[in-house]
Amino acid sequence: MKQRNLAGTWRRVGNRAMLKASLGDKARQIRATCVQMAYDGKMGHLGSALSCVDAIVALYHDWLRVSPATADDPDRDRFILSKGHACTAHYAVLADLGFVPKDCLSRYAVMNQPMGSHPCKHALPLLECSTGSLGHGLGIASGMLYGLRHKRSPARVAVLLGDGECNEGSVWEAAMFCAAQKLDGLLAMVDYNRLQAVGRTDQVNGHSSLEEKFRSFGWGARTIDGNAMGGILDALDRFPLRPGRPTALILRTVKGAGVSFMEDQVLWHYRVPSAEDLARALEELKAAPLHLEGSER
Amino acid sequence: MKLAFVETLIRLARANRRIMLLTGDLGFQIFDRFQALYGPRYVNVGVAEAQLVGAAAGLAMTGYRPVTYSIASFATARCFEQIKLSIAYHGLPVVLVGGGGGYAYGECGVTHHSGEDLSLLSGLPGMTVVAPGDAHEVERLLPQVLELPGPAYFRIGRGQEPRYHSRAPVLLGKARLIQEGGEIAVLSTGEIAGELVRALRLLKERRLTPLAYQFHTVKPLDVETLRKVSARVRVILVLEEHLAHGGLGSQVAAWLAQRGSRSVVRMLCIPDEFVLGSPEKHQLRERYGLDAAALAKTIEAEWRASPSARRRG
Repeated sequence: MKQRNLAGTWRRVGNRAMLKASLGDKARQIRATCVQMAYDGKMGHLGSALSCVDAIVALYHDWLRVSPATADDPDRDRFILSKGHACTAHYAVLADLGFVPKDCLSRYAVMNQPMGSHPCKHALPLLECSTGSLGHGLGIASGMLYGLRHKRSPARVAVLLGDGECNEGSVWEAAMFCAAQKLDGLLAMVDYNRLQAVGRTDQVNGHSSLEEKFRSFGWGARTIDGNAMGGILDALDRFPLRPGRPTALILRTVKGAGVSFMEDQVLWHYRVPSAEDLARALEELKAAPLHLEGSER
Repeated sequence: MKLAFVETLIRLARANRRIMLLTGDLGFQIFDRFQALYGPRYVNVGVAEAQLVGAAAGLAMTGYRPVTYSIASFATARCFEQIKLSIAYHGLPVVLVGGGGGYAYGECGVTHHSGEDLSLLSGLPGMTVVAPGDAHEVERLLPQVLELPGPAYFRIGRGQEPRYHSRAPVLLGKARLIQEGGEIAVLSTGEIAGELVRALRLLKERRLTPLAYQFHTVKPLDVETLRKVSARVRVILVLEEHLAHGGLGSQVAAWLAQRGSRSVVRMLCIPDEFVLGSPEKHQLRERYGLDAAALAKTIEAEWRASPSARRRG
């Protein structure tokens, strides 16, 4: 089987099963990091970060052709976290891969530091763009890809959206455009954790049909288990799902995934973990936060 | 002005291959030549203003110089958050063109009026706000805004605005002298400058020659000219096809007040109301005393009431 490494070149990897297992471990460590960051930074949105950890890990390790050395390369693949409030997961992955120093993680949501409570490109220039207000990422991604294709760049663009975010009309304006322009270098992942800020996504705006919606807009679309590393990697291998069309992967996830008492609880959209919550979560995850590895907490 | 905009853009796009033109499904036929010449550098995103601005942001992030076009009211208010966050927050060099700015589409009703565009866009940090007065100013200013490192709003008219004469060069950020004079000053922005020029002609017959400037650049405000004007005259009239709040008039008044000026600013604009009844542009101007004849009367009254005129008796 072929796999792209971080330098963006192709290599053969013998054991796909091993990669799936190791990235599963990686995801647990990223989750532990997110919980620690939320505790230290006294900032919520933990449930939204935990649900999409697996997707971000999979993207950076197996799909995005970008590395710290190629972060400025015009032909790099691009990633936009459109659901910007889930940024602890993105920050942790960036630090793990060496895009940013790990010690930044201990200063999440601290004034004038690189890792703000919502991603800001002025604070952390290697981000493709600043996000935080919902419904902007897909439109920006579509423009990027249109431009990249016009330049004949091989670069692709991945966007991670929330399911609540798909209430925004601008998402569907962009979805129409992407299909009309045949932007098949575009990958949209929707973190369908079925909970939005104050209620069940399906009850608020009837989202049980996200896959059908994207398909009817002219996309290739599939629903997969978004917290199962193996399934995500398999789906990424099949990109683009349909030649000549943008691809949407609807990730069925659990909000707060990986920490039993946070799972599927709307409370954990905003709640900040207590010291006790933190200890319990790390115990359950059986992993240490990245930036505290080998040090006394 | 619209044709001048398209023709100028076609000329600029020939030399600068990074220019892309995006429209929100408006500008019937006027972009045909651009499209024929430049193919995929013309994009109709459909009736989707948020997408218009979002796509422009993405293009600018990959090194292009996008120019977006829609009717001013839709190009600004409809997608304001996209302009604020995707464009201005990122400081991207996108030129947002609003066609038929102000009340040029008066007869189409309130939905097509944009009496708050200058205010909205001036409220964004780093945004340059330009409202040319005629086709000549469009031709001269468009290349300049396309050289800016950051975003710009470019309000143009609907078509067939009269050209007016001024020997002063058209420089972005610099007010343009329309008429040398004194006693009082009249400042204008946007295509209503044509109305002012006609009013000045009427006044000249009565030997009244106020100082007159066209502030085609609303932001950044040309405070150097403002300083000179306020040193010379006491009363400054500001004429614009815009609501009173946040346009050129209020920006001029705020600047003068902040530096303790004794100048009196009178705003000649649309009062704080929705303009109902769908009047055509000229009817609307008559309704609010913004047509040349009414302007001449207002300016004359201010002239006669000015301190030095009174001293002369």
